[in-house]
Amino acid sequence: MKIFEWVRFGTAGGIALLMSFPTVWMFYSAFKSNKEIFTSPFKLPYSWSFASFVNAWQQGNLGTLYLNSLIVTVTAVAMAVLFGTSAAFAFVRLEFPGRQLMYRILLVGLALPPAAIAISLFVQLRDMHMLDTLWALILPNAAWSLSLTVFLMRGYFDSLGADAEEAARIDGANTFQVLFMISIPMVWPAMLTVTIISVIGIWNELLFALLFVAEPDKRTLPAGLIRFFGQHTTDYSLIFAALSILSFPVLALYFIMQKRVMTGLTGAMA
Amino acid sequence: MRRKSPERRTGLVGSGAVNVLFAAPALLLFGTFVLWPLGASVSFALTNWDGYNVPHWIGFDNFTRAFRDLSYLWSYAHVTIYVLATLLFEVTFGLFAALLMNSSKPGYSLFRTLFFSPVVLSWTAAGLLWTFVLDYRTGLVNATLRALGLGSLAHPWLSDPVTALIALSLVSGWKYSGFYMIIFFAAIRRIPQDVYEAATIDGASTWQQVISITVPLIRSNALVCVLFAVTGGYSAFDLFFTMTNGQPNGATDVPVTWILKQGIAQNQIGYGAALTLILVVIIAGIAAIYSRSTDRLRVTQY
Amino acid sequence: MKLFALAAVSIASLMAASSAAWAQTELRIAHQAGTESAKVMDEVVADFEKLHPDISIKQLVFSSADYENTGLVTQLQSSTPPDIYFQWAGYPVERDVKTGTAFDLTGAMATDGWKETFQPGLWTAGSGTTVDGHIYLVPTSVGVDVTLWYNTKLFKKLNLDTPKTWADLMTDVKAIAASGVTPIVIGNKEQWPLGNWISQIASRLVPPADYEAAFNQDGPFKIPGFQHAFQLLKDLHDAGAFNIDMATLDQDQGMATFFQSAAAIDPIGWWLVRPKDQISDPDFDYAQFNTPIIDDTTSNKDNVSGSGEGFIVNAHSEHKDAAIAFLKFMTSAENQAKWIAATGQSSPVIAANVGANLDPHVAEIATLMNTASSLTAPPDTSYPLPVARTFYQAAAYVASGDKSPDDALDWLDATLKSMGKQTN
Repeated sequence: MKIFEWVRFGTAGGIALLMSFPTVWMFYSAFKSNKEIFTSPFKLPYSWSFASFVNAWQQGNLGTLYLNSLIVTVTAVAMAVLFGTSAAFAFVRLEFPGRQLMYRILLVGLALPPAAIAISLFVQLRDMHMLDTLWALILPNAAWSLSLTVFLMRGYFDSLGADAEEAARIDGANTFQVLFMISIPMVWPAMLTVTIISVIGIWNELLFALLFVAEPDKRTLPAGLIRFFGQHTTDYSLIFAALSILSFPVLALYFIMQKRVMTGLTGAMA
Repeated sequence: MRRKSPERRTGLVGSGAVNVLFAAPALLLFGTFVLWPLGASVSFALTNWDGYNVPHWIGFDNFTRAFRDLSYLWSYAHVTIYVLATLLFEVTFGLFAALLMNSSKPGYSLFRTLFFSPVVLSWTAAGLLWTFVLDYRTGLVNATLRALGLGSLAHPWLSDPVTALIALSLVSGWKYSGFYMIIFFAAIRRIPQDVYEAATIDGASTWQQVISITVPLIRSNALVCVLFAVTGGYSAFDLFFTMTNGQPNGATDVPVTWILKQGIAQNQIGYGAALTLILVVIIAGIAAIYSRSTDRLRVTQY
Repeated sequence: MKLFALAAVSIASLMAASSAAWAQTELRIAHQAGTESAKVMDEVVADFEKLHPDISIKQLVFSSADYENTGLVTQLQSSTPPDIYFQWAGYPVERDVKTGTAFDLTGAMATDGWKETFQPGLWTAGSGTTVDGHIYLVPTSVGVDVTLWYNTKLFKKLNLDTPKTWADLMTDVKAIAASGVTPIVIGNKEQWPLGNWISQIASRLVPPADYEAAFNQDGPFKIPGFQHAFQLLKDLHDAGAFNIDMATLDQDQGMATFFQSAAAIDPIGWWLVRPKDQISDPDFDYAQFNTPIIDDTTSNKDNVSGSGEGFIVNAHSEHKDAAIAFLKFMTSAENQAKWIAATGQSSPVIAANVGANLDPHVAEIATLMNTASSLTAPPDTSYPLPVARTFYQAAAYVASGDKSPDDALDWLDATLKSMGKQTN
């Protein structure tokens, strides 16, 4: 069996390395000059230069793009998680007319691709005078994250059982207090997971970012980078630096929180 | 869903119509930015609006045109090939990786983390990175082939209609198989050890155990994964837009990229809306048929 | 909750910053620009702001594909649309007039002899600056859209002359292919680079009335003229003339291939010209020749493919006077001279071209434009976009060998028929 173990370890390790190599390669290639990337693509940089990163930041106006992405992501995720948890709470712990129907309607967003309504949403945002503002990205992104959020939170609420909340009720708390003082502290692990999943999704969102915001200073990172790429298609060092800057925060977040991300995803799919 | 013990009923903390207020913000947001545009789509689809001038009612003309639109129909063929490929490169490969890396021994946790890492990247970053890697003249793949003396194998991967779609599917597999790996991994982890122990006592080999215990018990997860991959695959956009946007000559156009070209880039809002509605109906239809026919298979019993 | 507050504060401060200019008149100008033209624009804007301290200008700059696809549309539909925006001459101007975003500048042009500073040919009916006799577009550049740029060193090495006829071109192409270099590189990802070229070729072979009819969907494309044009494309493909990755290379990568001497010819427009210091190979030398004569008997056998671009004043703008003042400033002889020096385009303003220190390549194509016996404009600026785009797709099919010329034209006619008449 020993041989089997070693083969298994080797294969697993090999696959893991292969999967992560392109990203790693992209990162360290950004430290090279363009010429070096072509002449010795695989070697580690001869000298580690931050020049491309600086150039990418300045030419691509990445500081502004970063800020926009940050604003959109933080606001949208906050809205989605807050509203979604509150709604999940309502669907599981409260009784009101139409609750099953409303829940089913919210689930529609799970199977619906955002592209489905991109065009009509464009027109609608125009009529609401929101085109070319960050709200055009915050609100739709939050709305689309609601389906998954409600679905996951509801599952979590379901699996927890209502004992603590019922007890609080008996002690005289009103519904609002139950939600905020008992339920949320109980479900915060799931909320954290949902937050991370939503952050990854919204930070990387491309379609709405391309369509609804055109002013270069208001764009988010993915959309801005496409434009940046269009203008510098042959300077790979620059492109890789820009992509590294884009990917670094989410990757860092993932590596720090990976246990939580993985357990959260798996718990959700249960 | 984990089975709840019969005594534990979902406790109700309150009842009464006023409680709808807790769901109200979510419903309002969802209604305004998802349901309303969906409804508007239906009305746009029945006009020939170009986004600027006054729309004219043209009934179902957009829909009949859609069925004559060969590029649109072909986009479904392309996306179906893509979906089938992702079932292999993402779901099956993810399952394989989950089985392979299902070990508590040192190092495996790191392997799983590395395997999952591409999932976190944006499709844009992945697309741009791989576009460079696959470039014909200067890309990494061809440069390596040439350096190894295999220059004749160097190929314009993204310019050849056949290889383009396969290349895109492979990139997609690289990017997303980690997602399925994690799901299967968790499912496998949930299988109680005593089931395996009993089998070992009965004399079953590891391989036999995998086939007859592991795989059937994660069936319900597998079904959900397939549904997810299929519905997600049909609405694929980001990777296709970033890497080829339909090229070469429409060979990698999928429904969404084609819809955007027609609807936005060519100012045909009405037509674009019609195309979108057809896509939505198809995806919903697939999901419904799939759910119904796999309902019986969903229950897991250890 | 803290995060939420932080987000709210950030948004509020951002909104405040953007409305900080309420004390002055703010002009918003949307346009697409490359690196060189962007620099000149910045200079002109800065100078104007110095002369008019009560006006501040906000530029919204895009890349060309971005601008064409969603950039301009989103800008015009937003609640803070631009006061001035860039537009291509021809059909786009007509459409803007119809949708009411173009302001009639006939009156402004008549004051202070502004109109007379431009080349008179720009105001003729076909030049795309006017609709029904009224001026809507202030032209800021006219340029050649397709000419065959070639690597002079490569040609010399292979002892090739610039071709005068199509047969000469085919000979040259075969010789280049035999030497192992890609004869013609086209970065055709957006499909208009090849599209522009094939349209020029077709315009020489198809009678003007039939050409017009086909693009307006009043007549078929499968007629001898177009068949001949597509056959020429096929001949090129069969001779191995094109780069194999034509469909996924975008125009910048195509031009980079040319400048890296990996291809001998790049058929594209005036924007290929760039300052010497931007070309990585210091010994690189290039020149151009117009598409060689195919049919010696037609009147437009040596026409030049060219079109104009310029700026439109938004009819909904609240600062039309300031906008017009800026455009007048921008089209003054001195500023246009700056424009020429940096970008290498020739200017539509007569006085600017005098004594201008033009890059020799620019001088070449300026001469080409000025001495052209006839002009033809790319169809995606003069005809409905869906029709032009489908035509470009048909040409791409032939150039890549995916369809035969007749099949491609059949496909084209069938597709246009199923698309229905495009609203004009």
